[in-house]
Amino acid sequence: MRRYLHDGSFTGFLTALALALERGGADCAIAPQRAAGGASEPELFAEYISAGSDPGRAAAMRELFERRGSAGSWRHARYAFLSENPGSGTALLAYARLLLEKGPAADDMLADGRVRRVHALSAAVGGEAHMFKGFVRFTELADGALYSRIEPEHNILPLITGHFRARLGGFNWVIHDARRTSAALYFKGRLVIAPLEKARLEEDAGEALVRELWKHFFRTAAIKERENPQLQRRNVPLKYRKNLTEFG
Amino acid sequence: MDLQRKLEILADSAKYDASCASSGSDRGGRGAGAAHISGVCHSWTADGRCVSLLKVLMTNECVYDCAYCVNRRSNDVPRASLTPDEIASLAFEFYKRNYIEGLFLSSGIAGSPDRTMELLLEAVRKLRREFRFNGYVHLKVIPGADRTLIDQAGLWADRVSVNIELPTDKSLRLLAPGKTKETVLGPMDRLAGRIAAYRDERRSIKSAPAYAPAGQSTQLIIGATPETDLEIMKLSEALYGKMRLKRVYYSAFVPVSRDSRLPALAEPPLLREHRLYQADWLLRFYGFTADELLDEKHPELDLAFDPKTVWALNNLERFPLEVNTADYEALLRVPGIGVTSARRILRARRAGTLKLDDLKKLGVVMKRAVYFVTAAGKYAGIKKESGEAIKVKLLEHKNPNGQLDLFGRLELAKEGLAATVTGQL
Ligand code: SF4
Repeated sequence: MRRYLHDGSFTGFLTALALALERGGADCAIAPQRAAGGASEPELFAEYISAGSDPGRAAAMRELFERRGSAGSWRHARYAFLSENPGSGTALLAYARLLLEKGPAADDMLADGRVRRVHALSAAVGGEAHMFKGFVRFTELADGALYSRIEPEHNILPLITGHFRARLGGFNWVIHDARRTSAALYFKGRLVIAPLEKARLEEDAGEALVRELWKHFFRTAAIKERENPQLQRRNVPLKYRKNLTEFG
Repeated sequence: MDLQRKLEILADSAKYDASCASSGSDRGGRGAGAAHISGVCHSWTADGRCVSLLKVLMTNECVYDCAYCVNRRSNDVPRASLTPDEIASLAFEFYKRNYIEGLFLSSGIAGSPDRTMELLLEAVRKLRREFRFNGYVHLKVIPGADRTLIDQAGLWADRVSVNIELPTDKSLRLLAPGKTKETVLGPMDRLAGRIAAYRDERRSIKSAPAYAPAGQSTQLIIGATPETDLEIMKLSEALYGKMRLKRVYYSAFVPVSRDSRLPALAEPPLLREHRLYQADWLLRFYGFTADELLDEKHPELDLAFDPKTVWALNNLERFPLEVNTADYEALLRVPGIGVTSARRILRARRAGTLKLDDLKKLGVVMKRAVYFVTAAGKYAGIKKESGEAIKVKLLEHKNPNGQLDLFGRLELAKEGLAATVTGQL
């Protein structure tokens, strides 16, 4: 049994996928390096192969999804990867094999487990990215920049930057994924995603007042007679509330 | 009075559905119209409703005395007003922090309709010009305001609305003295004309200004007056057709004040409101007409079953339908199949013949659909195709005792609510 290990980057993942397609047997799998090298015992009879990061192979994989797949296949692949689900690598391997075999029609096989699995991962990531267009909360800093801290389940940061660029193009802002210690930094019209451990923050003097006004508005907007905490919890799961101003 | 207190009063009086202030959010919070046009909710309140807009009144003072409204003149409530400056900067500060998607601005009628409309326009103009705000604005148009003022509304707002509130002129005269069919439909017609004219212009000149690009909506209060569902659906059909409205919202009447002209309701008719939303949905997305759903002999929607199921039971000769060959329009009419699952069926059957087992994976609600479809010739419903037998079966799923008590009804309503959300009617 072969395990192809990747470095966690998308290029690394696609390289591992390419190798698995070229050389792997029926039962091979793809996993991130850190999971294999972590606390858990390596499997006894598994053969571990570090895939490295090969831009050429990665590009060939992109082509596979775009050429052999339907209009949505490449997006599904990217999104499923961003899910960071432990099984996503192996699920994408099965999906890629199916695309090679069936071509664009594979994405129509909605009742097939291999297709459903990848579509479901992709939908979960797309759904969370959509939610975070609403859940990002900025704080105004003393220098006028806006700072937001998020802790999403999936790695959705790369999927929401475009939205905030269009919306807050006139400001400098930071969206900090504290769970992955990475941040989107938008400064003077340029956007980068870079590692960020901890941020030093000095709030603007007017910030507390605006925050209070918002909390007040939020509380007032609920109709007492119709309180429904269950419904509220379904829509704003508790795990997201820590970084939401109105629940603080 | 400080800003915090003012906001409290004006957000408070803006949250009830039956007033000038209502935006008509679908109850249950997750209905398709709950979020504004982009579909982004920023939060959900303790009653489970989506928050996407700063929904506030400019003032809750009012010279009118509409029987159903909290802000009516004769009601003893604290009053407050915001200036156009306060409104604009509040909306901008909230927007910048991504608390909200935009502003929903309405007002009681303080002084004259013209003066009120002028101030509303000033607030939105400031927000757009001084703060360079590009977010979403829904602006209420004040009935009775001058034409030239009404015309300006769509230049600054994405969506405009005038609430009809009561379905007939007679009811309006009874409960909303000062309002008539003309004062409501007049501005609506005017706005519809503007929207259409600007749209034509933009077709030829791309840089022509946009006018209320998110269109026009309105709201009806349900259960405060004796109109039937048939009358209401006919009205909605006409509003979607002639007036080209984007949405009609229905709001179950909640008695906020005692008044001898109002019916004494034990509770707001929420289930009826819900059925109206479902029927409305069928008009807009499923190709149904009001006449197919209701007629003079059956002028009210069935509370026990959703309107599509009722229609299907009355048209059993069209079923069962073979999912591998039926066209899209026919699939949409099957209970348990919605827009999404109908599209999935079309897609999936290109890849191979569908079996009954596959349908569930495609999102079809088989509990309901099973009586109305075949897949590859196989049928798993009940043999004797009688509407009554199917009805009994459908009810059994919800209530093993076979009788539809209040609890059962609520369960049904909840299930239907989830269905509205996913579009699986
Ligand atoms: S006009 Fe009627 S509905 Fe509008 S705020 Fe005044 S009393 Fe309420």
